[in-house]
Amino acid sequence: MSGPVNPAPDRATPAPAGGLPGQLDAPLLPSPAQELRLAVGAGQLAGAAVLLQAQGARFITLLLAQTPAPALQAVFALGGELVVLRASADGEPLRYPAISAVIPAARWAERELAERTGVQPQGLAPGVALTTPEADLLDSTLDGPDVFTLPFGPVRSGVFEAIQFMIETGGEDVPRIRTRPFFKHRGLEQRFSGMTPEAGVHVAERIAGIAGVAHACAFCQAVERALGVGVPPAAERWRVLHAELERIACHLDVIAKQAQTTALSVGHARFQILKESIMRLRVQLSGSRFGRGVLVPGGVRAAGALPLARLRAALDSFEQELRHDERLFRGTASMSDRLIGAGRLSRELLEQLGAVGPLARGSGLSVDARHERPHGEYSRLGLRVITAHGGDAMARVDVRLREIGESLRILRQVTDRLADDGTELLAPLPSGASGDAFGWVEAPQGEVVTWVQVRDGKLARVHVASPSLRNWAIFDHAFPRDVLTDFAFIEHSFGLTAAGADR
Amino acid sequence: MLAWIPRGLSRGRVTTAYPRTPESPPEGFQGPLVVLEPGRGPAELQQLCPTGAITVADDGTIALDRGRCILCGACVRAQPRRFAFSRSFESAVSRRAELIQRSGAGVGGSSAALPEDGIPRDAQLRRARAALGQQARALRRSIHVRHIDTGSDGCEEWEIEALWNPYYDIARLGFQLTSAPRHADILMASGGVTAPMREPLLRTWELMPEPKALIAVGTDACSGGLAAPGGLVAGGIDQVLPVDVYVPGSPPAPIALIDALLLAVGRLRAEVRG
Repeated sequence: MSGPVNPAPDRATPAPAGGLPGQLDAPLLPSPAQELRLAVGAGQLAGAAVLLQAQGARFITLLLAQTPAPALQAVFALGGELVVLRASADGEPLRYPAISAVIPAARWAERELAERTGVQPQGLAPGVALTTPEADLLDSTLDGPDVFTLPFGPVRSGVFEAIQFMIETGGEDVPRIRTRPFFKHRGLEQRFSGMTPEAGVHVAERIAGIAGVAHACAFCQAVERALGVGVPPAAERWRVLHAELERIACHLDVIAKQAQTTALSVGHARFQILKESIMRLRVQLSGSRFGRGVLVPGGVRAAGALPLARLRAALDSFEQELRHDERLFRGTASMSDRLIGAGRLSRELLEQLGAVGPLARGSGLSVDARHERPHGEYSRLGLRVITAHGGDAMARVDVRLREIGESLRILRQVTDRLADDGTELLAPLPSGASGDAFGWVEAPQGEVVTWVQVRDGKLARVHVASPSLRNWAIFDHAFPRDVLTDFAFIEHSFGLTAAGADR
Repeated sequence: MLAWIPRGLSRGRVTTAYPRTPESPPEGFQGPLVVLEPGRGPAELQQLCPTGAITVADDGTIALDRGRCILCGACVRAQPRRFAFSRSFESAVSRRAELIQRSGAGVGGSSAALPEDGIPRDAQLRRARAALGQQARALRRSIHVRHIDTGSDGCEEWEIEALWNPYYDIARLGFQLTSAPRHADILMASGGVTAPMREPLLRTWELMPEPKALIAVGTDACSGGLAAPGGLVAGGIDQVLPVDVYVPGSPPAPIALIDALLLAVGRLRAEVRG
């Protein structure tokens, strides 16, 4: 699969010298800023993907577009850009060699595409259906007198989203575990079709409710980039403000859950109180505890009733409370004893599997969409990417705790640049326009990449690459030396959402 | 480890006194939608709503189905003299028809939709809430709640979990979270019921002993919400099982969920008596 790739030089302009990665000699298609769209033949997709990976590219997603002929698009992050390999069918049925055979990170994306569209890659590893899970299908693979298969979920003890884990265990160690998502597939990507971009944002907010601001943000950016709309700077700042509050709430939720699983009841209560105080702040800023209804393609809607001076004061007292609880939490041996070493994943493995978010950063990978491809206000903020090197549950908690501090720093910068006056917050969208583009943000769970195609002012097709789906695929590897009782620590340290994965 | 003890005590009591004393949302909170006077308008108003929650009858009467409303505010922005967000948390009702709101009559409040005993809905709700608060306290530590996610967007889970945080702490009212369906009195189901979750929902419900009550948590659980038309989602819990309490909202806030739980306790008591 390696070696130089020479796709048929069809339609587009030849690539400018030096503008393309290494040996990949593919024609450059017209591309918006921070995107490189390359035309390749379907047969060369896997080979081109390998070349990109050799340059350090990270696989993001695979999708089927209608442009107007069906075209596969394999999406990678490389340097400060998204590289999109576009393979058009040109009247023939789409056939392509499996990308996952050479890039393991593509495993679920490729399977999902095959099961939903019928476009079967050649050489796709066989396996049970991914997107139509059956709770009762045991699907054991290991033999042995003492090994049994424990189906865990989709209904679990406590308040959890529906997802299932097939755990094969001898009672203590976990030689094999398989994550089964898609119990809550709601068909939201199809739901977008035919909607106006203004209405579509409500769907985007619901892909993963707890990261609704992030998903709305990626969607809005994609629409704006597709239609060439400039967003007022004040609106960009409000977006950052809502997104960072969402990040703090999600990180606190994970830390509270870790306190609970380590039987630290006061710590659990304290982090729940901190989280609730952020949720209440969000109501005052948006009318919704989840910041819904604020973001809209073109900008933001007029913000809530809270004066900025009171917001700054609230953030100050929040930080004071947080520092105190963080100090106690970090000093609690019964907590760190359970988290240190749990679910250890190496940097190399995570890089190979395309990990994103706090999971990747906890193993030393500097992966953060806000920094890799800064967009909007983030390009003016001087963001620091927080990483840790332990690669275990403790490192992921550490990353989250420090990221809350970084979010607070960003929030202060942003509030200082905002004013209470009625600055313009919304740019109009051109009516009846067409175009397609990607949008991206760093959600609390990791990078969200959304592709939007607008035709005559209506949404034609939307594809969402969620961090939860990409990182759940890695959960299967998260029990190298761990036992079944570590399950809760490791699961919470991933901090994902089933709704986001299933869409 | 010991340092947590003074830390836990240092901030005093944060728990709400709800339902003994009402709790009003902060300024700007976007609560359940209301139709404002005079409550009549052209049929085009129906186009405002992305989930079809607004219907206009032949005589121009506007009806808003809170069971379909996702609180996006499109109607409020376009027609601020006809629609408004209320500033209240509570939205739970015990019959689907009661979620349909017309102007001047409260929720479910046209005379045709009055409850069987003829008492106006709002007064009834106030009285019921006070009585149920008493009952729930009398049942201290004996109401067990089980949750099932039937296809939510994940927000409902956060809000249900928040019920046991120090602010809401519904253990003080006697509600405990249980993992065993066989111990559960109340099932809180969130989501419009995706195909793979239909069977687990039925099975969980079947395992629960009588008397039991089922709460549809959130607009998706009441009607399917935004996900409905694709055919992948059943379109609400009541398409699969009879629902005792509907609590719309996207998602419903924790106080709305307490209100729903109290209503469900009332249903349990009625079942025991009846």
